[in-house]
Amino acid sequence: MAGYAWLVAALPLVAYVLMVFVGRRVGEKAALFGIVALAVSAILASVILVQVVHGQTIAASIPWVTVGTLKITMGYSVGPVEAVLLTMVSFVSCFIEIYSMGYMHGDARYNRFFANVTLFVTAMLTTVLANNFILFFAGWEIMGLCSYLLIGHWFEDPANCRAATKAFIVTRIGDVGLLLGIWWSYSLTHTFNFNALPGALSVLHLGGGTLNAIALLIFLGAVGKSAQIPLQIWLPDAMAGPTPISALIHAATMVAAGVFLVARTYPIFQMAPSALWWVGLVGAVTAFVGATMATVQVDIKKVLAYSTISQLGYMMIGLGVGAMWAGIFHLLSHAFFKALLFLGAGSVIHATGTQNMHEMGGLWHKQKSTAITFIVGGLALAAIPPTSGYFSKDAILASAYQAHDMLFFWLGALGAGMTAYYVMRAILMTFFGKPKKPEIYAHAHESPRVMTAPLWVLAVPAAFLGLVIDGPIRHFLAPGTPAPNAGWMGYLPLTLAVIGAVVAYVLYTGPVARRARLISALRPLYVLLKEKWFFDHLGSGVVYLLGVGPSLAISAFDRYVVDGAVNGVGRMALWFGRQWRRLVDGNAQGYMLTLAVALAIGLIALQALGG
Amino acid sequence: MTSTLVIFIVLSLLTLYAAYRVATAHLITHAALFLAGTFAGVAALFFMLQADFLAAVQLLLYAGAVMAVVVFAIMLSQMREAGDHVPRWVDALRSPFFGFLPLISSVALFVILLISYLDTPWPSSATAAAVNSTRYVAVPLFQSYALPFEVASVLLLAALIGAIVLTRREDDR
Amino acid sequence: MPGASGVPLIGYLIVAAAMFCIGAFTALRRTNAIMILMGIELMLNAVNVNLVAFSRFVPAGNGARGQVFALFVLAVAAAEAAVGLAMVIIVSRRRDTIDVDHINLMRG
Repeated sequence: MAGYAWLVAALPLVAYVLMVFVGRRVGEKAALFGIVALAVSAILASVILVQVVHGQTIAASIPWVTVGTLKITMGYSVGPVEAVLLTMVSFVSCFIEIYSMGYMHGDARYNRFFANVTLFVTAMLTTVLANNFILFFAGWEIMGLCSYLLIGHWFEDPANCRAATKAFIVTRIGDVGLLLGIWWSYSLTHTFNFNALPGALSVLHLGGGTLNAIALLIFLGAVGKSAQIPLQIWLPDAMAGPTPISALIHAATMVAAGVFLVARTYPIFQMAPSALWWVGLVGAVTAFVGATMATVQVDIKKVLAYSTISQLGYMMIGLGVGAMWAGIFHLLSHAFFKALLFLGAGSVIHATGTQNMHEMGGLWHKQKSTAITFIVGGLALAAIPPTSGYFSKDAILASAYQAHDMLFFWLGALGAGMTAYYVMRAILMTFFGKPKKPEIYAHAHESPRVMTAPLWVLAVPAAFLGLVIDGPIRHFLAPGTPAPNAGWMGYLPLTLAVIGAVVAYVLYTGPVARRARLISALRPLYVLLKEKWFFDHLGSGVVYLLGVGPSLAISAFDRYVVDGAVNGVGRMALWFGRQWRRLVDGNAQGYMLTLAVALAIGLIALQALGG
Repeated sequence: MTSTLVIFIVLSLLTLYAAYRVATAHLITHAALFLAGTFAGVAALFFMLQADFLAAVQLLLYAGAVMAVVVFAIMLSQMREAGDHVPRWVDALRSPFFGFLPLISSVALFVILLISYLDTPWPSSATAAAVNSTRYVAVPLFQSYALPFEVASVLLLAALIGAIVLTRREDDR
Repeated sequence: MPGASGVPLIGYLIVAAAMFCIGAFTALRRTNAIMILMGIELMLNAVNVNLVAFSRFVPAGNGARGQVFALFVLAVAAAEAAVGLAMVIIVSRRRDTIDVDHINLMRG
């Protein structure tokens, strides 16, 4: 079996090639290539998982490039983390392709959609399988490309193209860091191999500074891919893609690749404690800030997008406090409940034709299946026992507490409270209360069975996965680790979550006048600080109770620091563009001149470096 | 200083002067004339390198054929003057990009080449001259380089046809 | 120790470098298309000087290689001149100018 693990990634690739070349001839049946390939991959992956559980190591490699002293080997190695991810990715994506058969039916670019999804899965599985940075990075970049193609699937709308470009470019910023980290570590150790790299680095007895810098550069790649602050800006816009894509790529799998990257190179991070602390800090800030952002969104998919950012932050906290298994555990449960929530949201959007929660309400009476499964997913997201999210998030926060990282613990706990608040708010606004737009309500209907059946299938792991694998996964990923125990403080996140949910319940089931009164009581502050903020977040008055200050500070940070940096870069580019326009205005001589200048600079650099 | 070296220096200076006049000529016909001079200078350098055959080809092909084509092009495009801003030194420094960047980059290129040449240990002695320089070139050309030679001839044929097709008048069709 | 011809290799190399840079300057600075082509011819000639000079100074047996390459460069240069000047002629016929500042069809 060990020799065939590469088939897990190779089968979807074969399916992709088939879909590209014969897809046009067989029409919509081409989707079956992908689904069959992914189903076989999923079965293979589970066989591998069983083997790894029984202590087998699955690895193989072949020499790939030999140039002088440079030897690059290609290969794969599957440890516990990889086996878990391999299984999760192949199952979830196989499943989402089945769902998409219904969702995308009749789309003008149906086959292209499926081909891109299949290529994405190939890349993701390659990334997970790879035992070296080269293969890993290839998969990583193809994922980015597929994400770009799929966000821009409906490219007729320029907004979608902008969102796709934004996602591509923002994640690229992180990738530059990752690439630098790879080069740096290679120049020191002359190996790209994940398993050999930590040992090779440790025998060099490097100063802490170098190790920390390498680890942080690698982490920068994870920050981009996993939408951590300050590179989180692309993910909400990525919701422009079809909803199955939001579920698959921008919630369950690709964004988790950043977390996986840190887990894959975890030995390096363990040698670099300050880098690890930064991982935790970025995660904690993201978890908290993402949650505050989610509390004021009115677009149901945007709520979920910000909650994804926040949940990825929790995974990073887990990694940052040394509890890698807890981070991966949360990754796993998050994949299920977030895919469920997105598909549920897709079902609601399908029924109402709008993403604005202010135009929904009362859908409980129309969409029982969607509502029940959405609530199950919501409970898991809010980490209410006994759902899967409770166990994994609790494990992360308890580990943070035990590691005495109180900052991470408190940010995470407060974030948990806000998570429950915005989940409750979204559920109440969407499914309960009076219909806000009668004409939309009148036309709403339950989605076809091809869309609700997947919801029920996903609801089961979302509800009970944590209960079942809480102990086993810890023993599997981190043998010998005792269960984290935060004493009575361990109940704090749950308590805050209940409070958050109750606050949302009181506000959103109570009379509208009360919400209005609350808003008017704090109106001066709003008007004083930001009028736009007030209008944007009308109807989400509770944000006051949970802290206007932090939210405003965050908003200002987003607006002035993040946007300022982004715009500043843009303006700088514009300035350079004006200066250099003559060189690239279609005049061949300008291109020639650029070439000559670059040649001169390159030769000077070569000479200066003692070439 | 041997007499060969003196000849070489004089010849190189003449060639480079001609090249310089090409770069700075006001009239395009003058540029063409000095270009022919440069080609002839290069042919003389080939002679000094005892590449007689190549020197002959250089004279025939460049100073002869290419120059004829250039002159025809000048005639047919009816451009007697160069028609552009001839780079006087003051001009060259004034305009932001096309002014000084070409100058700076070419000079920088030359300086950097010079530095790296001076840094490199070169073989100091020339090999014995071939008795028959045509045979010397022809043997490898038709043995080890037969295929590239054929490719080059196809390229020339393609260029020939391309030039004819391009310059055909619209009403000829 | 100068070679048999009395001129060291570096002499040829420097002449070629200077000629190349003059050619590059011409191609970059002049806006007349024919002038640009002349600049390119200068650069190609400089390369040929280098090739022939190297063929004279490297060990025998490989020496002919440099000259063979120079011949290929000649062939390519001839082809380039023919096509390039043909293009100049049609551009002048259609647009009444061969100033490359006015020729920017590659503008995106």
